Amino acid sequence: MVDSKKILRELAQHPEFGVLISLVVLATAFASITPDKFLTIPTLYSALTLASELGVVTIGIAFLMITGEFDLSVGSVYALVPMMVAFMVNSGVDMLIASIIMLLVAFGIGLLNGVITIKTGIPSFITTLGMMMFLRGILLALTGGFPVRLENPHWLIYVLNGSIGTEGLRTGAIWLVIVTAIFSFILDWTPYGNWTFAVGASAETARELGVPSAKVKIINFGISALMAGLAGLMAFSRFRIVDPTLGEGLELEAITGAVLGGCLLTGGYGSMVGSFMGAFLIAMTRVGLVLAKAPAYWYRAFIGVILIIATIINMTIVRKFVTSG
Amino acid sequence: MGEAPLLEMRGIVKRFGHVEALRGVDFHVNRAEIVGLVGDNGAGKSTLVKIIVGVYQPDEGEIYFEGRRVQFKSPREARDAGIEIVYQHLALIDLLSISRNIFLGREPVKKIGPITILDKHLMKNEAWRILQDIGVKRIRSPEERVAKLSGGERQSVAIGRAMHFKAKLLILDEPTASLSVRETRRVLDHILEVKEQGVSVIFITHNIYHVYEVADRIVVLDHGRKIADLIKSKVTPEEVIEIIRTGGESLRAS
Repeated sequence: MVDSKKILRELAQHPEFGVLISLVVLATAFASITPDKFLTIPTLYSALTLASELGVVTIGIAFLMITGEFDLSVGSVYALVPMMVAFMVNSGVDMLIASIIMLLVAFGIGLLNGVITIKTGIPSFITTLGMMMFLRGILLALTGGFPVRLENPHWLIYVLNGSIGTEGLRTGAIWLVIVTAIFSFILDWTPYGNWTFAVGASAETARELGVPSAKVKIINFGISALMAGLAGLMAFSRFRIVDPTLGEGLELEAITGAVLGGCLLTGGYGSMVGSFMGAFLIAMTRVGLVLAKAPAYWYRAFIGVILIIATIINMTIVRKFVTSG
Repeated sequence: MGEAPLLEMRGIVKRFGHVEALRGVDFHVNRAEIVGLVGDNGAGKSTLVKIIVGVYQPDEGEIYFEGRRVQFKSPREARDAGIEIVYQHLALIDLLSISRNIFLGREPVKKIGPITILDKHLMKNEAWRILQDIGVKRIRSPEERVAKLSGGERQSVAIGRAMHFKAKLLILDEPTASLSVRETRRVLDHILEVKEQGVSVIFITHNIYHVYEVADRIVVLDHGRKIADLIKSKVTPEEVIEIIRTGGESLRAS
């Protein structure tokens, strides 16, 4: 005999459980509103394309949230990296070299966020809020508010986010899968992943057990910024133009994706696959609403409601099945 | 006293701002000896052990471990030297599995090509063995989260973890504070077993009767000073309590 309560208990141990339910419910809803359009390959591909840039940012932020910290500066890094790459490429630097330099800069910005947060003890919410405004200000000052276009195409843009086939699939989706797989592997299969969970749950306890807590946090700030930079390059490769306001509000969408995916704001709990699904859920909602011919304004309102409901579900699951005896 | 003590501390002073938490404490632990460390709140017990395990560094004084002068700059260094501590708060992470907790900070790894990964198989088996040895039999799998354990089971897992890594010196901070009578008995038995294996133990507690059952020697701290260092067989629990209560006045009176 199948013990359904026991199965539920087992399923609930996985942070992805909540977002999986939300995905199924929403997909079913959209499929019943627009049955002929929603369940098609082009729809899947456009959702994946939308999810890829957001998803890469979400993975980075989720990894940092599991460490118990926040990063609001990802949206600014997401714009800064391609902007500087565009400047460099347009003045004759090879795009690959420019990209590597700027990804290193992004990683450095993240480390700086981490060092400031850890050394001064101010909340990362504040550090990265400051960094977000600082970088955005620089961007606007440098460009005078005007977008910068990539003058000559480069092979790298096809690698980063080129079309595959004619149905709308892009290499960005592959990058998202690769990034998800790498960080999922690190979390579940390496000592560093164990440290990341432990530091997020209790940095002090982890330190007592010999884990270099401060170092883990600082590195994970770096990872968050690095992923934001990579995602920015993916967006740049798709549009071949970068606007100084690119990525405004992205930090909140990425945090939404991570939270939908089961990451706790308090740290120590979450999943990369869940975060991937969280980002995909957001992208799918956007595509689904367009197909349902809902006015574009409703998208944010809709995501807001989903966020609150999904968080209530996730919290209930964690309280009931994960942290209780 | 032919052999040098396992741990010897001389003239340890530790200040926090204007507060002198330790004012020149001499303290030692012999091999395979159980030392009870007692004293009222604020006596300096926690500060002293935090210096031993490298959380704090002393402002003055010298520490010798196995005859060698040491200066632990981090908990990791003390751990590597063979000093394990079970904190009163147990240092367990609720959201992680029992096996991940046991190996946190020194995870066993194996290589697959150029990639180093967690040896999950070994972690699971070893954790299971530790659970069986320590008598936590209710749990079905070491993959269960620590959140599922009772207070006594947590204490057992924390002690089991410390014992697993072949410590030379095991420090237990209030290990019986929140336990039932039966759970306390089990922890005291663990301490005696550890001693049988040649490990030295520092047992910090407020409960003189618990420490009196297992200790060879009892050291009393008061306001950052050592006020008594007693061979257990030569005192009664009531006398120890009196020393703590009077801050050493009862010693001078007699």
